[in-house]
Amino acid sequence: MLTELLAPAGNLYKAKIALLYGADAVYIGGKQFSLRARASNFDLSMIKELVEFAHHIEKKVYVTMNMVFHDEDVYGLDDYLVELDKINVDAIICSNMIVIERAKTLTDLEVHLSTQFSLTNSSLANYFYHQGVKRVVLSREASLDEIKRIQENSLADLEVFIHGGMCVSYSGRCTLSNYTVLRDANRGGCAHTCRWLYNLYEDDTLLSDDYDFQMSSKDLEATNYIKDLLDLNIASLKVEGRMKSIHYIATVINTYRMMIDDYKIGCLRPIEQYQTEIKKAENRLTSHGFFEGDTTVDQQLYNSRSEVPTKEFVGLVKDYDREKQELIVQQRNYFEPGDCLEILMPDKTIIQFQVKNIVDEDGIELDAARHPLQIIKISCPVTIMDNSMIRKII
Amino acid sequence: MSILNIVARLKSRDEIERLVDLGVDVLMIDTKDLTTKSLFPFDQNDLSEIDQLIKNYDVNLYVYVNKMIHENDLENLNQWMKLFKTVDVDGIVINDFTVYVVAKDHGLENKVIYQPGTMNTNTFDAMFLEGKIKGMTLSKEITLEEILEIVKSPSKINYSLVGHGYIDMFYSKRKLITNYFIHKNRKFHKIKGNHHFVLEEKTRDNIYYPILEDQIGTHIFRDKKLISFDEIDHIKEYITDFFIERLFIDDEEYYDTIQAYQNKELQDIFLNRYKNFNNGFYYLPTEKTKGERHVD
Repeated sequence: MLTELLAPAGNLYKAKIALLYGADAVYIGGKQFSLRARASNFDLSMIKELVEFAHHIEKKVYVTMNMVFHDEDVYGLDDYLVELDKINVDAIICSNMIVIERAKTLTDLEVHLSTQFSLTNSSLANYFYHQGVKRVVLSREASLDEIKRIQENSLADLEVFIHGGMCVSYSGRCTLSNYTVLRDANRGGCAHTCRWLYNLYEDDTLLSDDYDFQMSSKDLEATNYIKDLLDLNIASLKVEGRMKSIHYIATVINTYRMMIDDYKIGCLRPIEQYQTEIKKAENRLTSHGFFEGDTTVDQQLYNSRSEVPTKEFVGLVKDYDREKQELIVQQRNYFEPGDCLEILMPDKTIIQFQVKNIVDEDGIELDAARHPLQIIKISCPVTIMDNSMIRKII
Repeated sequence: MSILNIVARLKSRDEIERLVDLGVDVLMIDTKDLTTKSLFPFDQNDLSEIDQLIKNYDVNLYVYVNKMIHENDLENLNQWMKLFKTVDVDGIVINDFTVYVVAKDHGLENKVIYQPGTMNTNTFDAMFLEGKIKGMTLSKEITLEEILEIVKSPSKINYSLVGHGYIDMFYSKRKLITNYFIHKNRKFHKIKGNHHFVLEEKTRDNIYYPILEDQIGTHIFRDKKLISFDEIDHIKEYITDFFIERLFIDDEEYYDTIQAYQNKELQDIFLNRYKNFNNGFYYLPTEKTKGERHVD
């Protein structure tokens, strides 16, 4: 079995970008039954379009239905499952028995167990396998040693998180958001209360300094463990982040794609090279999470710091005019003639060049690209693929 | 109609008689290594003795096995299961469904009470679990209306509720207080098991959430004790076990709490004497997106 690279997608375009940049499959949320309520979730027609797009290039689409159901949420579940089956969705990802049971009864859908169930051992994996669940997503609290042992003993395929944000609590077990702001963390409303600022007291004695007690975790970054996970033949390596930008998705997915492909052909480069590539996208500070076992202070995020990306995303290539040797670009951030740009293409190629001139759609020369989403043109002697990401070298 | 059992957490061998005299039906004890937020943990050598002590008083014994079960815990969990079978415990209160799976291997599934805190939120779950386990504890974040809808469903499973006390709302494997003091390069005299830590969020003055770190991880609790004096009247005929949580409550208040749930005439005195309660989510539905139900 080939290990799959699985990407998040908050909307149709992000999903296509993820697939173009090397994901073998994407997971998306529907309008109903999914967490991440703030992501631009997909209606059935969008899911159908994405499935057709993905299947055409021999890739897969999974639909998350991983909210914790209340009775009021069940309305429409059966019809929805039947529709997903008709659309030929490759699997659903769920955490409630009601979804597993109804999917088994009504459809031929493949069922995966969500990390919302916080599964951390092979006994439970095998239980769900016998309940008809083909794959389980492991809890992010599992260490590499535990993953190895679970893989040895599990009948179900395993999906392992390799990159992205981490719940500080065991997933699915937190009601901080529910209690503090009445937004249901387990039905898509999480307010990320665990990332707020707190003071710590012992009885009446203040122990912290100006609300600097923080629980936030650094994001997960598992480049150091990809080789191990591939050797273990883990079914799927999962990147988190349905709310992330197209540039983040393209950069992160492209990097892990390179790692996986390089390792397969015996040409893995020094890990630092892949880590440098990931740092070109916006990120919190990262760490190895629980891969080495219990976390320490090094896996915590204090002072709310984010990593400054080493490159700034400034434009998306919409087209290339071979005759005029001109890039047609949708502007995303400020840049000007004289800036050095780097272009990441979906086929993993990276080129760098200096901007000589910028013109608008009417051919009027601009002193800078300063209007987000404006279509502009840049001279470029090299043929560039559509949907390439343009970054400014900072 | 169910017979409502009061389930109390045991804090020492010496108070068994006191709790029994107060009318407690079930005493719940902790294991040394598979119980988090524990009050009075027992190791495997002590289980038989404590079981005998409790059964001498003709009350039931539940064991609290609420740790998330990792691969490395499975062997130990199997050892505990053998002991649970030997001493014939009356209930095994679990958080992680793995414990049910392992209990089933030992023929103990009919002792399992599934208490994951957040997962038992709908009628289907009740029907799914019926006949598989002894009972299910309804989730802590659903409304009274939702509770009534579930308990009145056709499922014949035994329902239970954690209806009183400081309810936990967060369970992390991370040692968040220890890490904080390391980050600050400071030593602190006692972190693990210290019941005196509280958190105050920056925009919420004078609201203090208890936070507890133990060998297994870190827990955060609601700022006020859940109280169910009025609500219990609506649901007691459908509920088998009523758990009274004990963390952060001193012994006298805990004993008075047990009495107040059994004698309505004591409730006004109780409320005059003890403070800091609310009704949790009984009348406060949560929302899936900001502004769906509640306006800031």
